[in-house]
Amino acid sequence: MKLQVGAGSPPEVRVAVADFLVYEAELLDDRRFEDWLELFTPDITYEAPIRVTRKAPHPTIVDDISFFDENLHSLTLRVRRLRTDVAWAEDPPSHTRRFVTNIRARPAEVEEELEVRSSLMLFRSRGDLGAYDLIVGDRHDRLRAVDGALRIARRRILLDQSSLGTKNLGVFL
Amino acid sequence: MRVGTDITSRLSDTVQPELGRIPMFIYSDPDVYRLELERIFGRTWLFVAHESELPVAGDFVVREMGEQSVIVGRGDDATVRVFLNSCRHRGMRLACEDFGSVEMWRCPYHGFSYGSKGEFLGTFIGAPYERVAYPGGLDREALHLIEARVGSYRGLIFATWDDDAQPLEDFLGNVRWYLDLLFGRAEMEVVGVPQKWVIPCGWKLPAENFAADAYHTATAHAFLARLGMVDSVAFGRDGYHVDPGNGHGLGIGVHDDEGSYYPAELQAEYASRLDPAQLEMLGRVKNLHGNVFPNMSFLQPNFIEVDGRRVSGIMLRSWQPAGPGRVQVYSWHLVERNGPDWWKRLGRRMYVQTFGMSGMFDQDDTENWEAQTRNATASLTRSDEVMLHYAMGLDGGAPIADFPGPGDVYDGKFSEAAGRTFYRTWLDLLLEGPQ
Repeated sequence: MKLQVGAGSPPEVRVAVADFLVYEAELLDDRRFEDWLELFTPDITYEAPIRVTRKAPHPTIVDDISFFDENLHSLTLRVRRLRTDVAWAEDPPSHTRRFVTNIRARPAEVEEELEVRSSLMLFRSRGDLGAYDLIVGDRHDRLRAVDGALRIARRRILLDQSSLGTKNLGVFL
Repeated sequence: MRVGTDITSRLSDTVQPELGRIPMFIYSDPDVYRLELERIFGRTWLFVAHESELPVAGDFVVREMGEQSVIVGRGDDATVRVFLNSCRHRGMRLACEDFGSVEMWRCPYHGFSYGSKGEFLGTFIGAPYERVAYPGGLDREALHLIEARVGSYRGLIFATWDDDAQPLEDFLGNVRWYLDLLFGRAEMEVVGVPQKWVIPCGWKLPAENFAADAYHTATAHAFLARLGMVDSVAFGRDGYHVDPGNGHGLGIGVHDDEGSYYPAELQAEYASRLDPAQLEMLGRVKNLHGNVFPNMSFLQPNFIEVDGRRVSGIMLRSWQPAGPGRVQVYSWHLVERNGPDWWKRLGRRMYVQTFGMSGMFDQDDTENWEAQTRNATASLTRSDEVMLHYAMGLDGGAPIADFPGPGDVYDGKFSEAAGRTFYRTWLDLLLEGPQ
């Protein structure tokens, strides 16, 4: 008897998505920000709404305001800022390592697009005394096949703290 | 300074605001911090919420006054009250979520329950059991929630634990004229909820930065000029530095050559709420930053082009002390309720991208405040006293006479006068001296 687990995407799709997200993490950890920008479609929306602590069954995400509210223009501006010699918050740069796991992909209602959900754990270390921050969240991406390559058309990051334990969000999620 | 020196002596011997001399240890000294919690956060008016966060009866938000958790709630009589978020029975928190709407607060431990006016209603488990457990009855008056005094100005709700504190309007004093420009010019509303995060720094560093530090912009936020978003250092200088008294402080940047970018749809509302001098000043404002003593900061950032239009998104902050070197930040975005959709949409985006936790300006500030705090802690036990420089403007001109707003107003933003008054007010409160 063959075990059926949901109506998941074919293995080759899942592998392609996983490879893509891992490659993206590599670009960010290696500070190849210009290459990273190439992974977005021109109509990208990149958002991180706010997590709140509420009693069940109230929703714990508030969408009216966010930590990130970006399009390609503003993401590009942020990258340009990081490339100046006066981007103090990230110069010297944090040591970062992004762990992308729990990757799930399913076809979107639009052809050539996938709904992808993944878990992100971002390790960020600055300075001394062995200190580090963990930024953890649930990423919901819309990936689109463009000329045979995957691109990010929408990203929504749901952070897992209602009071974040890192001093700023000077790093991309 | 030797370990073991009496803290009040050390403060009175070394803190010299009028000379522009402030010792570094005060940023993070644990003994100073305990005094601050008792004599500043335990006594002065503190900002806790904006009226728009509590639109209907039963709505509440959980905030802090100093390190104390409080419930800010709108009662069934529509009055906003502030209670210590602590059951009178065993001190458990009554409200365990960030915000909500309830008919009563019921302690999750033993069921002690309270109405929206703070009145003790009984134990949840029910009257029969309550009579068994407390055959002599419960003193309902004594079990009333501990309640702070509440005041409100232009939608900003403040509270104090001191029944003898001066009226809120007197405490705010001259800063009211300037708060009107941001919070009184129209019906304002908080957009969503505050961003909340933790910065490892003493609470005074961000507060004084907003009150009296226009000079850091050209260096700390140099990327603006580097990317061609502003012209030069004049970006940070043009305008006024204001010392309104009572420890508050602010700076107003002006752009007289550019005109106003406010939406035409809001002009009538502005004109109906501001006096003509305020209205004229609002039109000149390029940016406006300030701090209401001790820990409420506000900002209308520069008008910057976002998606093809020049907008500016108002920010409101509170720097909640969470230890001698730790702050929990609340950052709200406010906008005119009756503003056009593009103004709201782009203003929100502007706020998120510039100030706020991921803001391109904000990031660099947090880096400074953390490192200053580390150095301050290290300076605690040095044999000499490390004195810092707060003298900008001491050799400058007198306040100008022909400015329409109240307080000591200096031409040009490069002054630390309000920073000196911040530390004078702070010192007098800690030493229980003249106020």
